[in-house]
Amino acid sequence: MPAEVTALDLRLRRRSLLGYTAGIVVYAFVVVAIYPAFKDDTSLNQFTKNGNAVAALFGANGPLTTPAGWLNANLYANFVPLIVLLLTIGYGASALAGQDEDGTLSLITTLPLSRRRLVADKLAALTLQAVPVSLATMLCVLIGHGFGLSVSTNGLIGVTLGVVLLGIDFGALALAIGAATGSRGTALGISSATAALCYLISSLAPVVHWLHPARYASPFFYAVGDGQLNRGLSPTDAIVLLTVAAALSISAVAAFDRLDVH
Amino acid sequence: MSVVIEVEGLSKTFGNVRAVSDVGFTVTAGEVFGFLGPNGAGKSTTIRLLLGLYHATSGRVSVLGRDPTRDVVAIHRRVGYLPGELALYPKLTGRQHLDFAARVRGEVDHAYRDRLVDRFSAELDRPVRTLSKGNRQKIGLVLAFMHRPDLLILDEPTAGLDPLLQEEFARLVRETVAEGRTVFLSSHELDEVQRVVDRLAIIKDGKIVVTDTVEGLRRAAPRTVEFTFAHPIDPAAFAELDGVHVLSSADGRVRLALTGPAGPALRVAADLDALDVTARSADLDELFLTYYREHPTEREVRDAR
Repeated sequence: MPAEVTALDLRLRRRSLLGYTAGIVVYAFVVVAIYPAFKDDTSLNQFTKNGNAVAALFGANGPLTTPAGWLNANLYANFVPLIVLLLTIGYGASALAGQDEDGTLSLITTLPLSRRRLVADKLAALTLQAVPVSLATMLCVLIGHGFGLSVSTNGLIGVTLGVVLLGIDFGALALAIGAATGSRGTALGISSATAALCYLISSLAPVVHWLHPARYASPFFYAVGDGQLNRGLSPTDAIVLLTVAAALSISAVAAFDRLDVH
Repeated sequence: MSVVIEVEGLSKTFGNVRAVSDVGFTVTAGEVFGFLGPNGAGKSTTIRLLLGLYHATSGRVSVLGRDPTRDVVAIHRRVGYLPGELALYPKLTGRQHLDFAARVRGEVDHAYRDRLVDRFSAELDRPVRTLSKGNRQKIGLVLAFMHRPDLLILDEPTAGLDPLLQEEFARLVRETVAEGRTVFLSSHELDEVQRVVDRLAIIKDGKIVVTDTVEGLRRAAPRTVEFTFAHPIDPAAFAELDGVHVLSSADGRVRLALTGPAGPALRVAADLDALDVTARSADLDELFLTYYREHPTEREVRDAR
């Protein structure tokens, strides 16, 4: 009975997973394909010069016409994490709390599987759902080499890993809140709000002076906000993101053990 | 007789609401135990406590010799459960549900499962969301029975089934206990209980009001006797008898509920020159309804019997 619950949940989410992946492929391909039209347009760099806070709000920092600057501003600092978080927070909130509200959670909690095992299976499904969008984006960017958009492979793998881990972190947060409260709405709300706040901190920190120290508190900083596309994912980045995931997973197990399943 | 379910002093509180309170009963191997009560009485809450889905506020539960708060996996391996409000995955077919459960359980006799599917003529190849409540219920029943569990815990099992399938269900239950396995079922339908149950407990407002065999309850159930007289009479003569309750009295007709011997009432009727008498035998429905409607204290319950 290896990971039957993981397989079941992935099957139930198949359609949205495919939809989001197809969407990001189209979007990422367009971003890559129009790069040649912008790469010599230095006026574009005026937009982010001298620390424009509005540009930073949308994730654009630094020169936009370099390959890394272009990909950060259009993909990795905003859209790719957003889509991955939509998937993982949505699943994290539905995996325990949402299925309990639907009444289907009792189907699996009355099978001979421990609650710890169920959470482990759900975390595996969560991890797998963070992969397709991140991986598809990476493949599109690799195609971008043909459009003069060359970034280091190490950086590309690093930022892709960062996005996956970021998705797991916030998905695990939604899972843990759902396990503690039994409410999909609460899990969705708190996790989305936390993600939005962390995104703002990480994006605005480079231009808003007093926010600068706060960026260390945002998982976005360790995934996409600290030049990962240029230099790869550092061991520190990986350790921080993995530690957050582990702590939230343990909390989810502890909370689910106490949850009354309907 | 080995004990399959043992419950003692079981209570469960949600916030300030006491869903069940000091519930206790014992179910032995090879019997069909009915758990009866009106909607919202605490039947499903008790069942979820037996299965370790809920955590008890206080009290002791043992299922198949194990504690559901500690050994829940071992219990689930040997139990088949049908939830009261069965929710399946809307997008999946019945077959996908059965295959999933079989893969997780790992020890399913597929021939037996197919026989069950045939007996209930369950529709397996359409997405569950397109099925009627009765057709979903059939899938739930196959899910509960297919691994030949030692104990079946069924919450309102025949809800939505037509009379033919209810009869088929009753046969399946009898076969199951004939093999020495045990069935615990909740219901608010008296018919179902009279048809399949050996022993039962009635729960009302979270408390057990009576536990007995169906035969024992039948003996205690009130008989209805109606006398017809030539003239209007005063029913007080009947009302003061022990074990007699005047149901109605008008135009020389008196309807009585008898729980004691018939002699005294017959003597009073004879003295009043009764013209006619009709009697209806023990009526379980009437007895259940008294338990459902009122809040009988222990003393009233004893008096009623």
